[in-house]
Amino acid sequence: MAGVKERLSSVLGHLNPTTPSNSRAALLQKNPDDIVITFAARTPLTKAKKGGLKDTRIDELVISLLTEVRQRSKIDPSVVEDVCLGNVLADGSAYIARSSVLAAGFPVTTAASVANRFCSSGLLAIQQIANQIATGCIDVGIAIGAESMSTCPDNGAPVGLSTKITEHEFAGQNLQPMGQTSENVAGDFSITREKMDKFAAESYQKAEISQKAGWSSDEILPTTVLWKDPKTGEVTTKILTQDDGPRHGTTAESLSKIRAAFPQWPPSQTTGGNASQLTDGAAAILLMKRSKAEELGQPIIGKYAGSTVVGLEPRIMGIGPYYAIPKILEKKGLAIADVDVFEINEAFASMGVFCVERLGLDRDKVNPRGGAIALGHPLGCTGARQVVTALSELRRRDQRIAVTSMCVGTGMGMAGVFVSEH
Amino acid sequence: MMEFRTQGMNGYAVKYSPFFDSKIAVGAAANFGLVGNGRVYVLNLTPRGILAQQTWDTQDAVYDIAWSEKNENQMIAATGDGSVKLFDVSVPAGPVQQWHEHNREVYAVTWNLQTKDTFASSSWDGTIRVYSPERPQAILTLPTHSCTYSTQYSPHSPAVISSVTSDSHLRIFDLRTPASASNHLVHLIPIHGQPPTQGPSYNPLRPRHPPSEALTHDWNKYRDTVVATAGVDQIIRTFDIRNPRSGPVALLEGHKYAVRRITWSPHLSDTLLSASYDMTCRVWSDGSTMGHPTPQAPGQLPVPGRQLGEMGGHTEFVTGVDWCLFGAEGWCASTAWDERLLVWDVRATMGP
Repeated sequence: MAGVKERLSSVLGHLNPTTPSNSRAALLQKNPDDIVITFAARTPLTKAKKGGLKDTRIDELVISLLTEVRQRSKIDPSVVEDVCLGNVLADGSAYIARSSVLAAGFPVTTAASVANRFCSSGLLAIQQIANQIATGCIDVGIAIGAESMSTCPDNGAPVGLSTKITEHEFAGQNLQPMGQTSENVAGDFSITREKMDKFAAESYQKAEISQKAGWSSDEILPTTVLWKDPKTGEVTTKILTQDDGPRHGTTAESLSKIRAAFPQWPPSQTTGGNASQLTDGAAAILLMKRSKAEELGQPIIGKYAGSTVVGLEPRIMGIGPYYAIPKILEKKGLAIADVDVFEINEAFASMGVFCVERLGLDRDKVNPRGGAIALGHPLGCTGARQVVTALSELRRRDQRIAVTSMCVGTGMGMAGVFVSEH
Repeated sequence: MMEFRTQGMNGYAVKYSPFFDSKIAVGAAANFGLVGNGRVYVLNLTPRGILAQQTWDTQDAVYDIAWSEKNENQMIAATGDGSVKLFDVSVPAGPVQQWHEHNREVYAVTWNLQTKDTFASSSWDGTIRVYSPERPQAILTLPTHSCTYSTQYSPHSPAVISSVTSDSHLRIFDLRTPASASNHLVHLIPIHGQPPTQGPSYNPLRPRHPPSEALTHDWNKYRDTVVATAGVDQIIRTFDIRNPRSGPVALLEGHKYAVRRITWSPHLSDTLLSASYDMTCRVWSDGSTMGHPTPQAPGQLPVPGRQLGEMGGHTEFVTGVDWCLFGAEGWCASTAWDERLLVWDVRATMGP
């Protein structure tokens, strides 16, 4: 028969059930086949057409960041088997990916591919590399998200689509520009302009606090770029160290004075002040199994715990996180209270307000360093950038679990769970 | 409220005699059932209080008891050493018969309520065994492959046995089915299964229930397809086995810790009593007499049951509770780790 110990642990098991908090404990366990992150960093995010990266083409941006990753992570480049580039807008992105990897000092044995699911491309790239590692396709890989909105125009939906799409109840909604989907969310769910401006102001204010305190110094890599003075035409070398999106001193009151960006689509509450900015930037994450990291002597800073995707009506694509976050939490057995930090892409304040309110999130946990409204939203970069920021913020707070999520154009939402092991 | 002290013994199970309204059996164990002896009490309710008519000591803890439905003097006890013992009040010396079939602790025993000629036990070893008092060995083994905290004969059919296990499933066995690889298993119902959601759209905020150990269950005495289950996740659920894939019919939420024992009223079809590690006994209505259709229409949300009363007289984990079958509806007995057996009237705990 069982000993005292077994009978006691049986009773203790009844008293400490597998509640979500136990799932949290399970998530924090360290196993040799965990997919871990040993390096995560990004370039500064700068305003498209105006900021420090405006003259840096997408290939130069990727080469610059990959070179930094190779040097600073001290990884032997020959063990990196694949690099996945999350990018939305660049023409010939597959050429750019592979060529940039080679130009950044990786050997010819390092492969490359592209991931594109609009605003979730950066997270999709992480998922691709993590899945390849988990299933034994590769041992070590880099996920990178990069976008140069200065040099690659966003032309929206392609012209000349089949009438089977344009006349379809849902597929036809994909012709709606993103701004219109933001107004749809505000209109359908009665989200007021006041709430949107308040949400946007909080983003600016959080970014300002973070920037003044230097919280992001361990996530941003100083990036050397060539910069052309728009007045003189003189080209100089600049070292960028700061995001230039956050406008200090922004208040809900000051945002309320901005005119509607889309007067043609009621309720016309979206403005340049409460929507994400057009921005350039890149972020990268080095992934491998825990056993491999230990073998290579790589410092483990975090863990990829899983990700998921959902679809919804394209006309309200902004509320994708409202579906994606509960879905990934359910898969991991977590409750909202188990999560320490949420990084949710602020494509528009309308969807930001909706997701925070309807999911009942603690506003202090959501985008503690400001989101895309203040920092900018370089489409393909955002998914990776939010993970870099979340890991840095968990370190600063000495907390463990982050959920990152974003809405995706054409009506989707993606979410992922990451654990800091600082 | 009447009280009896099971001095030095922590209660694990209590059962009213099916023959006498004043006779109660209690199963108990020393040292909270972790190590040491067990004891079976036969108690009489008298005008002078509750008096012990008979006690028997066992080598290992007694985790459950069941009265014989045929012989008013006999009962079986589930013990920690893997054996099931048959006691007879007229034989004070010790068990008149025992069966040592299980390899691990036996947690539950149940007597066939219809034919009254067999009984069953379930164990940590992942099996249910069926016995006849006339046979020296078990006559049937039903595997569950999971620690089986509770097994019950259906009160409506002599051939139907059910169980709940630590793998969070309700199993229904029908011994009339031919012997085959399924070992008479006819239903395997996930207790944590998602209740159906209302409406066509997916609600991301709907409640979610991860699997958790099931500790107790009971068949409704009036509605022959309704079974209630409960356990570590603190929720009491009712299921209608005519529609095993539809999820729970009612969810009764309120206990603060695991639910150790539930039992349907012998008098009212919607009423059940629960005992919990949160030191309370609670009485509930499953809502079935409140005008909700049954069985569930597709897409219908589970009915939120209602707590009718709470008894907080115990000062330790409450492990056993049972209704008196006779007399005024509402009398019951409970036993707990506080070494006390309490006899009380459910109606006194209910609000206006």
